[in-house]
Amino acid sequence: MAKTILVVDDSASVRQVVSIALKGAGYDVIEGVDGKDALSKLTGQKVHLVISDVNMPNMDGITFVKELKQLPAYKFTPVIMLTTESQESKKQEGQAAGAKAWVVKPFQPAQMLAAVAKLILP
Amino acid sequence: MQTLTIEDELTIFTAAEQKNNLLSFLNSGDDLEINLSQVTEMDTAGLQLLVLAKREAARTGKTLRFVMHSKAVLDILELANLTTAFGDQVVISHSEG
Amino acid sequence: MSIDAEMKAALITFTIESLELLQDMEDSLLSLEDGADPTERINSIFRAAHTIKGSSGLFGLDHIVKFTHVVESVLDAVREGKIDVSSDLVAVLLPCCDHIALLIRAVVDGDVEENPDMTTAGDALLAELRPFLEGNPSSPVATVAPTPDRVEASGGGEVETGNWHISLRFGEDSLRNGMDPLSFIRYLTTLGVIVNLTTITNRIPAVAEMDPETNYLGFEIDVKSDAGKEALENVFEFVRADSIIHILPLESAIADYIELIRSLPEDDAYLGELLVKSGVLTKRELEDGLSKQKSDSEASQPAQPIGEILVEQQVVQQPLVTAALEKQKQIKDNKARESQSIRVDAERLDKLIDLIGELVISSAGVNLRALQTTQTALLEATGEMMRLVEEVRDSALQLRMVPIGTTFSRFQRVVRDVSKELGKDINLVITGGDTEVDKSVVEKIGDPLMHLVRNAMDHGIEPAEVRLQNGKPSQGTLRLNAYHESGTIAIEVSDDGGGLNRERILAKAVEKGMVAADAKLTDQEVYALIFEPGFSTAAHISNLSGRGVGMDVVKRNVTDLRGSIEVDSTLGVGTTMRIRLPLTLAIIDGFLVGVGKSSFVIPLDRVVECVELTNDNGNNDYMDLRGEVLPFIRLRNLFCINDQPPRRANVVVVDVAGAKTGLVVDRLLGESQTVIKPLGKLFAHAQGLGGSTILGSGEVALILDVPVLVSSFEHKMQRHALSISA
Repeated sequence: MAKTILVVDDSASVRQVVSIALKGAGYDVIEGVDGKDALSKLTGQKVHLVISDVNMPNMDGITFVKELKQLPAYKFTPVIMLTTESQESKKQEGQAAGAKAWVVKPFQPAQMLAAVAKLILP
Repeated sequence: MQTLTIEDELTIFTAAEQKNNLLSFLNSGDDLEINLSQVTEMDTAGLQLLVLAKREAARTGKTLRFVMHSKAVLDILELANLTTAFGDQVVISHSEG
Repeated sequence: MSIDAEMKAALITFTIESLELLQDMEDSLLSLEDGADPTERINSIFRAAHTIKGSSGLFGLDHIVKFTHVVESVLDAVREGKIDVSSDLVAVLLPCCDHIALLIRAVVDGDVEENPDMTTAGDALLAELRPFLEGNPSSPVATVAPTPDRVEASGGGEVETGNWHISLRFGEDSLRNGMDPLSFIRYLTTLGVIVNLTTITNRIPAVAEMDPETNYLGFEIDVKSDAGKEALENVFEFVRADSIIHILPLESAIADYIELIRSLPEDDAYLGELLVKSGVLTKRELEDGLSKQKSDSEASQPAQPIGEILVEQQVVQQPLVTAALEKQKQIKDNKARESQSIRVDAERLDKLIDLIGELVISSAGVNLRALQTTQTALLEATGEMMRLVEEVRDSALQLRMVPIGTTFSRFQRVVRDVSKELGKDINLVITGGDTEVDKSVVEKIGDPLMHLVRNAMDHGIEPAEVRLQNGKPSQGTLRLNAYHESGTIAIEVSDDGGGLNRERILAKAVEKGMVAADAKLTDQEVYALIFEPGFSTAAHISNLSGRGVGMDVVKRNVTDLRGSIEVDSTLGVGTTMRIRLPLTLAIIDGFLVGVGKSSFVIPLDRVVECVELTNDNGNNDYMDLRGEVLPFIRLRNLFCINDQPPRRANVVVVDVAGAKTGLVVDRLLGESQTVIKPLGKLFAHAQGLGGSTILGSGEVALILDVPVLVSSFEHKMQRHALSISA
């Protein structure tokens, strides 16, 4: 049974490329365009990993992770934060919120797959 | 002989509940068997529980066997190199999930 | 749909999305100054730039990432209130939007590579953006080049031996944080083969106390992997903070690593660096160890040796530290051997060398006399003696040889200080430090080197932003190098800066009347102009070069040491200044001349030519040299030699700083290699004499110091002329 990953980013192209890479590696993908949208997509179904951007309209990534961790079905779900080099403080905020893994933007799809592979079993 | 079939996944999400299940099952008799064929997912939290169950059974002088390992369980036991340590018969051909 | 087709579709999404974002960005920018609260608009402008940058990276559109990064940095500073919204700012940002749109349209047209014309245009825009960032030092503009993410295993370790023991104790909260230990171990199998794995279960408490959501497990793993320690360490990057992780070479591999440590090159004397180089320690582990050492010593505890700390923290095993310590000692011993030798008073050494010089000469005399006899046994004996004496002379001269490294290493500090002064990031690389040269040369080369080094740092190496624009690393590199070359030592000062501008030098030289406007000069000849007195290009004015020393002084210093200087330069790539010096100042190639019964030695490198003095009336002090006026000095008069002059005198034409002067002598006796003996104190007032030497015949010959001789003669003539006119 393929594992499911939620990808949250306001950029359609980022979602698209990440999805292509993840699907190519055998994962199922759900997409969310921002924190709010992502939360609305989470209806208790099994999600094995969340990948979320930080800067997004409506609800930013940090708030989203905090809310996610309040939901019993997702409180142990690993989260990869998409940070940038210049946002070290955001990375720490993200970790405090519960996103213990990170990938630094801009990244190549292979780098994303490596981070995912560290966190969930195939 | 008592048999328990674990119906759910054995992961951090179910760990609290599964611990209680396992412990009450351990109290249900002296010759015990746990059927793992329905375990679709397992992680380190699940592995810890199986180790705990084995240890607790040994401590209280009971016999506990794991049988019908699912693929998810076998993968984890292999990775943790505990298949032999558990001393259960493993049917390799049994695979699902 | 294939992956390729899907990626193409995604690229189209990217271009559409980016162009939309840019349109929004433009609208928001235009309305920024309408007086309403701009916070949300600034945020959305920032997000647009941020998103475009992130997406471009995914598609490998590095040129778009590079440009957008700077725009994003400015917007980030605006967002944080470090830069005020102004019409100036909007005026600069709008063309930047347009430029990003251009770049993206190029992608739409199928051009995913960088286009040089657009890059030039982009650089011009970035130059306009920079002033906004400069007023705001905390902005992260320095990280223009996106560093590759460390998530990906870097692979390709430094060592062949890839047998590691990994000890893992994951943090209690690992599971709750979604960090599944077994998942990381599974990932580890993609980097190597797990040879042995033991799951450590003894931390699981009694049933009642066991919290099923707490992690109690640990793992001891032997892994065979070609990936380096760094790559293995990166596997556990996300859990490093909360877990105890030790990665050590397997016991069985320790011997290999010890061997590796022993065979390391001897250019690093720090223990930690040795261990990092051998691959048994990662840079991060070393930094952790060093910061512990530092914090301990700040807590006024006695500083613990770094080796002990590393072993205590279980990042490396004791035998490896011991091997590295031995290696360190070996390096130190080798270094010490150079500097620890017996101290000898330089004067005593000079005296020994003088005596040996005399010994050489007198043995030549003995040999001469022996040759006049026919006694074979005597000839054999003197032949053997000559050989030994020459060997003694060579090894005596060797005594004065010191490695140039100590002179070089003084520049580490200079480079650091001057870089700070200039606000440039410059790294000094020293090679050939063990090249030996006579002590007297080392003492005198410091000043010219200092000037060349400062000059290279000041004018050679460009400011960081110019370097980045030219695609060079922001850190400049200055190299000091020395090597032996056919009886001379070559010392090079190289920089990877902008190089000499031939056209500018030439234009300046023409303007100063130093060369004719239509002169055809080789590059070498043009570069040599910078050493001419009075030459200085307009760009050569800064507080550093305002120290009153010009390149002409460097040239003079080097010439005084009987050396030469040359320049190699490639525009945009860098400049190398190469000084060649004789290995020793104690021996000189001389030209022997006779006046009356006296002999004189003229340093050969001063001699231009020899001509016969014709039509001499004995009174004038100049002659016609192929149509030029050649002033000359009559050594006979200068040194008050009253013997009968010969019927025909000779003129040795010497060169001092480009001006020719004649020395009138009686006889030309040819070239000879001479050991220089200093003159006694009695002759300290004698101007124009550089020393003496003893000839094979036993006679003393005086060595002329040509520059001093010529200039003091000129002074005398001027005074003479003044007294006549008075």
